[in-house]
Amino acid sequence: MPSVTRQWRSLAELARDPAFVARAAREFPTLAGSLNVPHDRRRVLKLMAAGLALAGLGGCDDGAPSGVLIPPVRSSRESVTRGSNLYATASVLCGYAAGVLVRHDAGRPIKVAGNPDHPASLGATDAIAQAEILGFYDPDRAAGLMRDGEPQDWQSLLTALAAQRASWTKTGGAGLRVLTGSVTSPTMARQFVALQQLYPEMRWHQWEPVSRDAVRAGAQLAFGRSLEIVPKLDVADVILALDSDLLDAAPGHVRLAHDFATRRNPTRGPMSRVYAVEPTPTLIGLAADHRFVAGPGDMHRTVVALRDALLHGAAPADGPPWVGEVVADLRAHRGRAFVHAGPQLPAETHALVHALNDVLGGRGTTYSLIDAVEVAPTNQAQSLHDLVADMQAGRVQSLVIIDSNPAFTAPGSLGFADALRRVPFSLALTVESNETSQRTRWSLPQAHPYEAWSDARAFDGTATILQPQAQPLYDGVAPHHLLALLAAPQAAAALDLVRQTWQPTFTGNADRQWHDALAGGIVPNTAAPPTDAKLLPAAGQATPPPPADNPVTLLFRPDPHLWDGRFANNAWLQELPRPLTKLTWDNPLLISPQQAHAMDVRNGDRVELRVGDTTLTVPAWIMPGQASDCAVVSFGFGRTVVGTVGQHTGWNVYPLTGRSEPPALRKGQGREELACAEHHNPIFSHDEDFARHGTLAAFTADPHFLADHKPTPALYRTKPPGPAEWGMSIDQNACIGCNACVVACMSENNIPVVGKQAVIREREMHWLRIDRYYEGDIADPTTLFQPVLCMHCEQAPCEIVCPVGATVHDSEGLNVMVYNRCVGTRFCSNNCPYKVRRFNYYEFAAQEHRPAAARNPDVTVRARGVMEKCTFCLQRIAAARIAADMENRPIGGNEVRTACQNACPTQAFTFGNMAQPDAEVLNRKRSPLTYALLSDQNTQPRVTYEAKITNPNKAIGREGA
Amino acid sequence: MAAIFKPRANLNAKLTLLAAAALMLGGVGWWWGWPRTNYVRHTNWIVEQVVPFSHQHHVSGLGLDCRFCHTTVETQSNAGLPPTYTCMTCHSQIWTNAKILAPVRESLANDTPLVWHRINDLPDYVYFNHAIHIAKGIGCASCHGDVAHMPLMYKAKSLTMGFCLDCHSNPAPHLRPRDEVFNTGWHRTKDTPSPSALMAQYHLLNRKLTDCSICHR
Repeated sequence: MPSVTRQWRSLAELARDPAFVARAAREFPTLAGSLNVPHDRRRVLKLMAAGLALAGLGGCDDGAPSGVLIPPVRSSRESVTRGSNLYATASVLCGYAAGVLVRHDAGRPIKVAGNPDHPASLGATDAIAQAEILGFYDPDRAAGLMRDGEPQDWQSLLTALAAQRASWTKTGGAGLRVLTGSVTSPTMARQFVALQQLYPEMRWHQWEPVSRDAVRAGAQLAFGRSLEIVPKLDVADVILALDSDLLDAAPGHVRLAHDFATRRNPTRGPMSRVYAVEPTPTLIGLAADHRFVAGPGDMHRTVVALRDALLHGAAPADGPPWVGEVVADLRAHRGRAFVHAGPQLPAETHALVHALNDVLGGRGTTYSLIDAVEVAPTNQAQSLHDLVADMQAGRVQSLVIIDSNPAFTAPGSLGFADALRRVPFSLALTVESNETSQRTRWSLPQAHPYEAWSDARAFDGTATILQPQAQPLYDGVAPHHLLALLAAPQAAAALDLVRQTWQPTFTGNADRQWHDALAGGIVPNTAAPPTDAKLLPAAGQATPPPPADNPVTLLFRPDPHLWDGRFANNAWLQELPRPLTKLTWDNPLLISPQQAHAMDVRNGDRVELRVGDTTLTVPAWIMPGQASDCAVVSFGFGRTVVGTVGQHTGWNVYPLTGRSEPPALRKGQGREELACAEHHNPIFSHDEDFARHGTLAAFTADPHFLADHKPTPALYRTKPPGPAEWGMSIDQNACIGCNACVVACMSENNIPVVGKQAVIREREMHWLRIDRYYEGDIADPTTLFQPVLCMHCEQAPCEIVCPVGATVHDSEGLNVMVYNRCVGTRFCSNNCPYKVRRFNYYEFAAQEHRPAAARNPDVTVRARGVMEKCTFCLQRIAAARIAADMENRPIGGNEVRTACQNACPTQAFTFGNMAQPDAEVLNRKRSPLTYALLSDQNTQPRVTYEAKITNPNKAIGREGA
Repeated sequence: MAAIFKPRANLNAKLTLLAAAALMLGGVGWWWGWPRTNYVRHTNWIVEQVVPFSHQHHVSGLGLDCRFCHTTVETQSNAGLPPTYTCMTCHSQIWTNAKILAPVRESLANDTPLVWHRINDLPDYVYFNHAIHIAKGIGCASCHGDVAHMPLMYKAKSLTMGFCLDCHSNPAPHLRPRDEVFNTGWHRTKDTPSPSALMAQYHLLNRKLTDCSICHR
């Protein structure tokens, strides 16, 4: 075993803060605080007696039949009273679709899974798509039609619209504006064309706060037309990512993560090499072999040096020292190299990157170019600016806002909310009541995407028809129907509008094809063909504007889970620890360790952030690996008009956007308590090699260099093999830390959220957590992700300490938790070296903000005082066991897929029945990289890991020289 | 000085002791016995329903198969209740004006479902599956009793965890040949395969059906 460097999760741990060490060593670190009440012997005895008297009562059920059974009047061919059905649709974010299959149980949608046939999903989803089902059941969703805050009936809106239509017809639509987000829907495109013909003076504006304007403008500069890039990361040998969002949020990122991971494990084929240059960590940067921290100035020099070296053959004069080696590596892999720039970089950089890719000859192999998937791609910042200018000038008589929240997301300098007051007729169609719908005259509840017919395209152009999963819960209106109402009083239903769009495509047996498209989740042969657009010579000459010479640059990023704020009322996403910071419920200002040192700021200290005349007081959070001259804030928090979940969370940073003044940072007064999970559930090992990793060179020399020592003899009897043997392998090479698995687990297993205060008390309930370890220099550490769930140990330490036999081993090797036996001693959690057990301190499930019907009926909802933990998705195992038993055959090796495995974009999880020789999990466990977490404890876990291997360029040292 | 205890004190003391013992025994007996009564377990209680449906008439009288109404019993976890439509396949032809069938006719006419009261219920943390029990040769009567002779439906077995475990720990005596599962009057004959032969036939040898994870999730 090679020597390992120390791995740490939090700064307090790195500093070996004695208070932290003492605290982490305790099983219940927050217990001391809650035991302030003095306890005498008498009181303790009384409490014990009361506890004894109540013990077991919760488990009693007298067997009295309760409730009623209601059969349908007519049996329907399509409805099954019990059991699961899958219906395809798509999850759409900023216009781009990723196919999903929604699982229905007893007729109601329960769980989201990826659609294996959809090119942007391949069976996986991201965290946001998983959580959409909670948004569907959100009781805070807009419940009715309002005018000036007063409930109205539908007829009154129709009357108002009739008057509007009359005036639009008279003026040709002058003064009519429609504002939407980015659109790829062919039906909506068709509707806008029709509207434009009807009202030639009408204008359609688009606005997404998470801007991709630079990407669009870059393609315009490089090719003279709107193009989009479709990367093929599985064939790219060398990838250079410049502040790239390839794995975070780029269109098709779930698919891209899949392709990326296929080339990251040396036991399964040749590895790619990835260079990342970025001011603040991104997912691809953390997965990269070389990560270069670059603030705006360094980034500019890097881009210019790349241009000079690759396009003009010049020696890089001013660039960082490593540029020469990176250029050499890219050149050496001509035709197999790919460069990608993130949407935050200027348009000129994007044009240059197009030119670089052209020179590197990867077109057709490592990427292809297609005509823009978006309908009417436009400069959205300009589009919104024009709209607000016209509103202020009184040129806008009617404004229809569809599924957008500009009153919250528009740049602070623009003054959208004030301008809105000058519009006589304004109408907002929103899924939930928000800052915009509160300010418009009319606010109209929008049908949730699971309630309405629509269509959308994926990043490669593939179209999906979105079918409703249920009748509207709150009388929502489909956007297509509203658009049709703008044109005519007798508006068609959304279903008819979507069918009309696809009528020309389905030739022959149209009904059959329509049904196939719905069932399959894609319309066949709709992927966009590669274009033959030629690169303009000017692209290679582009020079990005040099960044302003500010001491601090403020970067705005979408929150990885709340995005631009539209998911702020989703409790799963709020409480999901952010991939890097592990923060929940808040968005502090991320500053570099150097900056923190200079300002004498610790995690949670308030700082004053001033841009122009706007000052925001936010807590600071130190982000290892961030450029020293950059500060990062994320969108999405600080909503004011939002449901009960999203209230009082984080800080709204939109007022700081759209300003050219240099930002200024000053230490503020006091501290803010933040709910960060990075130090929760600490695990200890003598070797401190929690997440093992090494280099490709070391692996080639000795493939087993990271593998475990021989197993030591066990103290307890080894169980005989059962009819099935469940096991899991987790590939750290594949894990990018995206959190899709964690939400999938919450959704599948009815895991409750606990709220910010309970997270601070370390009481979050996630069965599956992704531990993030840092290693090395705090300014640029190596980052490692390690998903940790119940290991289902063969020699389980939890089982031998349970006084009531509530956690036991079953014959298939599962460590099962019997909720009804549990009396809540928590001995098991104390004895668990992996800290994967979760205790219901309160009736968390009952306090949840969602109807009972939203829960998975196949999983018990746990009560207060009960321990719980990962079950390996026992309900799925049981279903497979019954299906196999009914056919009198053993359960197949790959028949059961856990929720985390199903959601994972990179297939980091492999689960299966190890009693079957065809099980993929056996293959993975035979990998020379396989090791057990905390193998010195000899727990013989059923979950093993594959160590992470990186493929660094020998010519570049760790410091980038 | 007068005696502290009168002669009756002896008797009183004995009676008190006896009463205390009796109370304790009775208490323990009640604690043990009361939950096991049919009253508490709701066994053998006839539950009033919207239509006084007679299984006796339809099953042993007319010879309807269980699956005619409980259609999903072989494929899904719950056996399924018949939609009103199923009732009306016959009752649109016979007993068309019977007063007791008025709720059924109204259900179809008004498109409002019939509401039946539950007879057999399991706690929510038990995940019982009909299909697998049928597939493994457990007759309907094993849990539901002699439904063919129930004029009105009642819960025939306790359906406690002990009841389930009796069979799960030793299923052999309860197994039937697959084609006798729905036979309400079935009895073991000399031609019936032996319990151990049935265990082998259903692949139940070497299976541990008493694992918690078999029924609880």
